[in-house]
Amino acid sequence: MKYELVSGFETHIELSTKTKIFCGCTTQFGGEPNTHCCPVCIGLPGTLPVLNKEVVRFAIKAGLAVHGKIAEVAKMDRKNYCYPDLAKAYQISQLYAPLIIGGYIELSNGRKIRLHHIHIEEDAGKLIHRHGDTYVDYNRGGVPLIEIVSEPDIRSIDEAKEYVERLQQVMRWVGISDCKMQEGSMRCDVNISVRPEGTEAFGTRTEIKNMNSITNIARAMEYEYERQVDLIESGGKVVQETLRFDDVTGTTSSMRSKEDAHDYRYFRDPDLVTINIPREEVEQLKAEMPELPADKFERYVDDYEIPEKDAALLTKYRRISEYFDEAIDGVKSPKTVSNFIIGQMFRRLETEADKEVFDVAVSPAQLNELVKLLDSGKIRNNLAKSTLEKMLDSGKGALEFISESDMGGIDENALLELCKAAVEGNPKAVEDYKSGKAKAIKALVGNVMKNSRGKADAMAAEAKIAELINNM
Amino acid sequence: MGLINDIHQKLINKEISCTELTKSYLEEIEKSNDALNAYVCVTGDEALKTAEAVDKKLASGEELGLLEGVPMALKDNMSTNGISTTCCSKILTGYKPIFDATVWEILKSQNAVMLGKTNMDEFAMGSSCETSYFGGAMNPFDINHVAGGSSGGAASAVGGNIAAYGLGSDTGGSIRQPASFCGVVGLKPTYGAVSRYGLIAYASSLDQIGPITKSVEDASIVFDAIAKPDKRDSTCLGAKGGETYPKLNNDIKGMKIGIAREYLDGVRDDVKEAVLDAAKVYESMGAQIVYFDLPILKFALPVYYIIACAEASSNLGRYDGIRYGFKAERYTGTHDMICRTRSEGFGEEVKRRILLGTYVLSAGYYDAYYKKATDLRGTIIKAFNDAFERCDVILAPTVPMTAFEKGHATSDPIETYLTDICTVPVNIAGLPGVSIPCGFNAKGMPIGMQLIGKSFDEATILNAAYKYQQAAPEKFTDTKWGVKL
Amino acid sequence: MVTREDVENIALLSKLFVPEEELDGLTKSMQEIIDFADAINNAPVSAEGFDNINNLSNVFREDEVVESYPVAEILKNAPEQAEDHFLVRNRE
Repeated sequence: MKYELVSGFETHIELSTKTKIFCGCTTQFGGEPNTHCCPVCIGLPGTLPVLNKEVVRFAIKAGLAVHGKIAEVAKMDRKNYCYPDLAKAYQISQLYAPLIIGGYIELSNGRKIRLHHIHIEEDAGKLIHRHGDTYVDYNRGGVPLIEIVSEPDIRSIDEAKEYVERLQQVMRWVGISDCKMQEGSMRCDVNISVRPEGTEAFGTRTEIKNMNSITNIARAMEYEYERQVDLIESGGKVVQETLRFDDVTGTTSSMRSKEDAHDYRYFRDPDLVTINIPREEVEQLKAEMPELPADKFERYVDDYEIPEKDAALLTKYRRISEYFDEAIDGVKSPKTVSNFIIGQMFRRLETEADKEVFDVAVSPAQLNELVKLLDSGKIRNNLAKSTLEKMLDSGKGALEFISESDMGGIDENALLELCKAAVEGNPKAVEDYKSGKAKAIKALVGNVMKNSRGKADAMAAEAKIAELINNM
Repeated sequence: MGLINDIHQKLINKEISCTELTKSYLEEIEKSNDALNAYVCVTGDEALKTAEAVDKKLASGEELGLLEGVPMALKDNMSTNGISTTCCSKILTGYKPIFDATVWEILKSQNAVMLGKTNMDEFAMGSSCETSYFGGAMNPFDINHVAGGSSGGAASAVGGNIAAYGLGSDTGGSIRQPASFCGVVGLKPTYGAVSRYGLIAYASSLDQIGPITKSVEDASIVFDAIAKPDKRDSTCLGAKGGETYPKLNNDIKGMKIGIAREYLDGVRDDVKEAVLDAAKVYESMGAQIVYFDLPILKFALPVYYIIACAEASSNLGRYDGIRYGFKAERYTGTHDMICRTRSEGFGEEVKRRILLGTYVLSAGYYDAYYKKATDLRGTIIKAFNDAFERCDVILAPTVPMTAFEKGHATSDPIETYLTDICTVPVNIAGLPGVSIPCGFNAKGMPIGMQLIGKSFDEATILNAAYKYQQAAPEKFTDTKWGVKL
Repeated sequence: MVTREDVENIALLSKLFVPEEELDGLTKSMQEIIDFADAINNAPVSAEGFDNINNLSNVFREDEVVESYPVAEILKNAPEQAEDHFLVRNRE
């Protein structure tokens, strides 16, 4: 029997606000242990949380980025569980009235992965286990998170990977998080079950906790899918449980222990008041939102006839697409701009991080100027390419490298003059051409190229010469 | 009629220096604290340092604020930077906060002379002060009787004249009940009038800090000083009703004083009689007494215990032996360490309430208990709002009885909980309530009555209380203990 | 009905040990308190419901960094510490 994979994700994303969610300590990653702490975030008795306004704004932006509904009234709840990394023995989170309801992420195959909700909460500190001793660092404690809870709509590992990539892309795009999985600013809990293909009922699911790379998500899901299928095939039953993934062995194992009985006893946090979100504020944030990558992608493909693959590259990071948008202003072919970016500029940006920052020496206006020279026929493609390299090396504009005479060489009138001279000065070749020796025209073109010192467009010259001869 | 003003006058008239005054309080603490057990920590050096600063100010002719140089005490659940703060629990032994509670920050900035931290029921859970890890505080009227709880130490210290005033906290009556037992004044402000920042939480939606004083005037002075908005407490608005002091002596002619019959149910006769006598005093001053029913009150006690214990079970989860306080000596692994620390560090009543709170929040019980109790909270608030359509203040007994004898507090938790029956409704509804003395029982133990007001209307209840004190000063008697000015 | 298992379960959630010999007594006492709390089952609930005491909303702080405490202060009350961390030493 063939089995279908069914998966839903709970994705935690650290928001890049300046300060923690309930106190003024910095959210900077790293730092010496316990140096980004105060009485509030280490949960000293008597301290009280005060909600960071920016966290709410960032969460609303996240909601708008995934087409979610922004709640009019939201509340904070306490999720009670006792663990050394949780200073208060409860995490302030949202259960009964989250900030964002619904929404979706659309995949390239056209499927929409629906979101159940997005809520805000605080991160826990960090534990280091050494020789059985436990070291606790609360720097990360109280860093704001959003948790994006999807419906179980994912049907393959490829969809899962794309879902994570899309989330990462759009959350970075709207500027609420760097979504660095390796630094833990984006982490996924993966719910997974299997069912015989063609059936509707969900199988029993397991949850793989705290996945911190897309590669590992794929490995863990693959392993877990196989494990569940094997179990069912051999007459066993999947047990609903929480699993951890061992990236050395590539296997999952149960996290359950007698010590953690899980009943979070959620209740409204009496230390925090209700959050009302006026519609005007939502509208204002909406107005401030950048055009989303999916919309840009569509526009590039439909309006500019850019191939999908290239459009995907241009919209992977917001800065690239913004650069592109500026550089295409008034040009004949946006595709030419795209080619320069994806061809020559990307070659200089080796890592994904470099591409994301997109720190190139040439400004969009400078690229725009170069492409317009090309558009007007003043320079040829080869010259444009080599000029761009020089511009990228130096940060100087195109005109620093292209002389008047360089551009003169390919001026329409100049070309015509050169062609006329070639035809007039080489009657033999003209005769040969006329008598059917098509190749004879190459000599005439060669003459034009020589006299233009290589600046003329050979194809344009050939066409012009043919025209002159035919009109003789 | 107020002690704070007396002291202030003596200081500015140079009848006594602040250092002399502070020393006399410290000496009296030395003499009487073995018997009263009001203080669990005495901060003599700090007190004398502040006194010295006040004397310097006096010497240089600078003006003195009303609370400046006045010796006072803080309940041991208010955080004091560098000074032991234990909630009278073994689990917080050795804990010295690294910040000040907002109330202490305010008073410290006004050169209040803190003599020490006062005794209380462990984590403010109790009605006799006897759940304190340090043993109970005793009643200055008779040290064979308890001071009440949970702010028993503060009431005992003020009643025993070893503090001019104290700050207590009131979750279900913990200011008013011991004030009533010890024959002093205790004001539980409107929820949100005084900052809770730095107050070690018992039940966050019910806890409120307020003064315990010798007189209504003093309660008004201290309340006006500490009721300020606080950016660190999202629920704190400060004194929205404005200052109470200027309105203390307003005429109460025509004031409507309500009596809800349910408040008198099950109240001992001597107490009931004293409260009804007080009503007559009010009538003689031209106030109008209005009787009505508040049947919803009979659910107040279970509602209170469900909400308080639920919040407590969450608030007290953090005592795990990792960041502060007591940590078990022997254990195997982190989970075992946490369980042992908590099992050894908390007393029986605290554990009982944590378990109860965990139960009412746990899966399958949340709706039937916690959710239902919070819904009823809304109903109770509405009932009070309706009642205040008919009257300006509500008069009620503070406690259905007088102070019990030492060790007499029953081992039956429910019987103990019943002593809170008159005090908890105010906390559930977030209203202000002040307890003032209104008589004595046959054995000479004080009886207290409370005046309950509308939200943020401390001014009216203090006005009514002040008028009563003027009309019946004999109810406000002193004890043999402590500093005699 | 409060059972021994209920009490064992809530004790585990509360991170409290209940010695075997106290379990029956505690179960009984919990039952009594729960019976007392059950009184609210019959209480009439008006439609208002309850949000928070003074119906407050939108109390926020601005996203401005406040200097953190020195690590020595943060660790000042720690029963055990090492290398600027809070420490739970293995005592097995």
